[in-house]
Amino acid sequence: MQIRRRLIPVTAAAGLAIVLVACGGGGQGAPGAGGGTPRKGGTLKVIGSADVDHLDPSSTYTTAGYNLARTWTRQLISYPADNDFTRATTPVADVAVDLPTRENGGVSRDGLTYTFTIREGVMWNTNPPRQVTAADFVRGFKRLANPVQPSGGISYYTSTIAGMQEYFTKAQRGGRTAAEISRFMAENEISGLKADGDRKLTIRLRVPASDFLNILALSFASPAPVEYDAYVPDSSEFRTNTVSLGPYQIVRYQAGKSVSLTRNPAWRQDTDPIRHQYVDGIDITLGQDSPDAVQLQLEAGSADLAWDQPVPTSALPRLQGNPDFKVWESSNLNPFLVFNLQSPNNGRALNDVRVRRALSYAVNKAAIVRIFGGPKISTVLNGAIPPGSSGFDAAVKPYATPGDEGDPARCRNELAAAGHPAGLTLQFPYRTNGNHPKVAQSIAGDLTACGVRTTLIATTADDFYGRYLSSVAKSREGKWDIAGPGWIPDWFGNNGRAIVQPLFDGRNYTEGSTNYGAYNNPEVNALIDRALTASSPQAAAETWKQANQKIMADAPIVPLMSQNTPLFKSSRVRGAVYNPLAQYYDFTQIWLG
Amino acid sequence: MSLTEPQIEAVHSGEHAPAVAGRGPWRLAFDRLRRDRAAVVSAVVVALVVVLAACAPLLAAITGHGPAERFPTTGLTPEGIPVGPSAEFWLGADGLGRDLLVRLAYGARISLLVGVLATLLATVFGVTVGMLAGFFGGAVDAVLARVLDVVLSFPYLLVAIVLAAVYGASIPLMIFVIAFFSFAAMARIVRGQTFAIREREYVEAARSLGAGPFRTMFVDVLPNLIAPVTVLASLLIPTSIVFEATLSFLGLGVDPRTPSWGAILADSVDFYRVSPGLLLFPAALLLITTLAFNMLGDGIRDALDPRGDRIGTR
Repeated sequence: MQIRRRLIPVTAAAGLAIVLVACGGGGQGAPGAGGGTPRKGGTLKVIGSADVDHLDPSSTYTTAGYNLARTWTRQLISYPADNDFTRATTPVADVAVDLPTRENGGVSRDGLTYTFTIREGVMWNTNPPRQVTAADFVRGFKRLANPVQPSGGISYYTSTIAGMQEYFTKAQRGGRTAAEISRFMAENEISGLKADGDRKLTIRLRVPASDFLNILALSFASPAPVEYDAYVPDSSEFRTNTVSLGPYQIVRYQAGKSVSLTRNPAWRQDTDPIRHQYVDGIDITLGQDSPDAVQLQLEAGSADLAWDQPVPTSALPRLQGNPDFKVWESSNLNPFLVFNLQSPNNGRALNDVRVRRALSYAVNKAAIVRIFGGPKISTVLNGAIPPGSSGFDAAVKPYATPGDEGDPARCRNELAAAGHPAGLTLQFPYRTNGNHPKVAQSIAGDLTACGVRTTLIATTADDFYGRYLSSVAKSREGKWDIAGPGWIPDWFGNNGRAIVQPLFDGRNYTEGSTNYGAYNNPEVNALIDRALTASSPQAAAETWKQANQKIMADAPIVPLMSQNTPLFKSSRVRGAVYNPLAQYYDFTQIWLG
Repeated sequence: MSLTEPQIEAVHSGEHAPAVAGRGPWRLAFDRLRRDRAAVVSAVVVALVVVLAACAPLLAAITGHGPAERFPTTGLTPEGIPVGPSAEFWLGADGLGRDLLVRLAYGARISLLVGVLATLLATVFGVTVGMLAGFFGGAVDAVLARVLDVVLSFPYLLVAIVLAAVYGASIPLMIFVIAFFSFAAMARIVRGQTFAIREREYVEAARSLGAGPFRTMFVDVLPNLIAPVTVLASLLIPTSIVFEATLSFLGLGVDPRTPSWGAILADSVDFYRVSPGLLLFPAALLLITTLAFNMLGDGIRDALDPRGDRIGTR
């Protein structure tokens, strides 16, 4: 009895609090919409598991790293904060005054020269604050080629900017101390980059590239102040001495433990068309390894946002309808099934397109979508290019089966017609973490149904690529026949360079290649070249469509699904705008209710 | 004056001493075991697990669900959550829409197979090594005892992980690994017992009659080792079952399609909040099976070693 009496007033008070919160949040519509008048103040509490891969924008190459970089660095052009996927993946002007186009003269007639004017009043948070200059951007590009921590995205720049490849090759042979690197940068120039005074930057390309603006909008292309010359890129000294030009500045960085950001006093709203400075600070606390624990803290409100942990799959059904939960669009091949075309196993059966086509019918894609939380979270793919990426074509689905559930009978018949009536035995490595074991068992079960035996090989995530898929020797030895890797493009929209080229250009096949199966079709390679040098994104998209059709006819992969991004936020987070590149909410749009 | 029960028993056995004299040591042990209620219950549970394992194909036939057969449309909700117990899936489905009951039944086969085979192997190894070391003593003992020390000091889980990574996980490998890490404990105890038995008068008598070392070993020493070895072996079975479950839980056991209890438990990690049966049923089965084997082993020890019972150690 006593317990009951005590409980009643507490419950009533809690109910009242909920009503008050609901009133306070009035005006906010759908979750993530930036409804209501943004309010300044408060500290955004972010919790997660692991440190950034790199803090240096020249090398950070993870979604969490991108999201952090957006708060304290900026680029000439960048992606806007917008909940519409197409708009959010189309670059706009950032530090540059305008987005260069042929119409405004920013892009030359031949599509080879891009001219940028630096916005006045964009300041480094030095003491005293100093204008960001064209030379700072040139320094940023040079740092991408440093020999200690070269940028993972370097090929995007070496394949487009004139002289970048030569500079990169030479830089790799240079010294590795901070002094040697800065001396090399001072003595060597990238021929395609020219700083004309403090505010004008001209970039000349080797070949036309309709996606060059997308490449410039990556955080790799951030400027670097002269202060960075004192540190080895991404060294621990660098990480504790960052200089900011975004709305926030890193005031404390403890490796593996925490990152604290406060407002950058040198940043002015009228010089930044994309970002805002609503919250006072951002505290990122690391070391929370369990996605379940993170989720519970977000629901309890003791933290606001997750850093690198997904919403646990088992929580997804429970969260349906929760205003703080939303699934955001993405565009990826995650996972997909790849065939090793070099495998000597089964009399080189996988090198035979008829065998690959037969196996393409076998897979129950709907079952794999269920493993990842069902059709609300993921989309079945039947083409090599996912929706939201350039060249997606819903009409190309040569191996589609009813309900996407697979057709073992058809697989068996076509396999027999291809000369393998007794089926095959395939080596099938899989990663032991996450949903990978379930995906492997699901696909293996589908193949069993069409008479194909599989040997499942458990591997770590590192070994999966290093000792199987990306190893030329192991691939040729037939250590693997099929596998289920994942691919998330580095940007969306006009991104054939980030999907079709890395996955299907056979001329690129070497150790560490992401064209895992060593697929090589000269016709596809020619289409890749044509699409990359197309005069406009539209022309590129048409060519990528043709490439998709040719690739699917050869069936080097079985596309499975594209995973969308389920996100959860604490109830006080407002202005949650999804950034597709970071696959997360943009910290610079958020305010606290 | 009233007599307490043991006194009555003592009086009775005193009176009927000649009738009891006809029972051999095994018969005596069996009678003692039969009176141990916990051991009897445990034996019944073990028998039930054996029946479950034996009936696995029958369960598959009744439910119409093979152990590796997936039912993604009926076994999973549209969001991919395993369904709970129902008419179609008696204990619910797992994360791939497979029948949990059928998989648990087939899992019992693997657990028993690994438990019994690994124990047999460990016993053969352990008795051989322990008896050789204990009987010959001297240099033979010094070498073998050091080997045992080395084996016992291996971090067994790490070695198992490395072996599984190098040779690929399989049931034979798992049986070998478990046997390898269990035989040393067996060998040590056998060695100690052999030391003691070697000095007994009947062994001396046999030797003075001209019996060679191997005849002495097999005719005079080995039969006297049967009691401690049986006890230890019965306790090794549950340890082996748990070891197998541990390796499978870590994904180092057999092919993930094989329905091992440890692998089923590992699968439940993603879903235990929404589908608790997926964790509870295999965990309970593993617990009950190992508990039953352990208590049966305890009972066998008490039955074979009446002195231990008198001292009251359990």
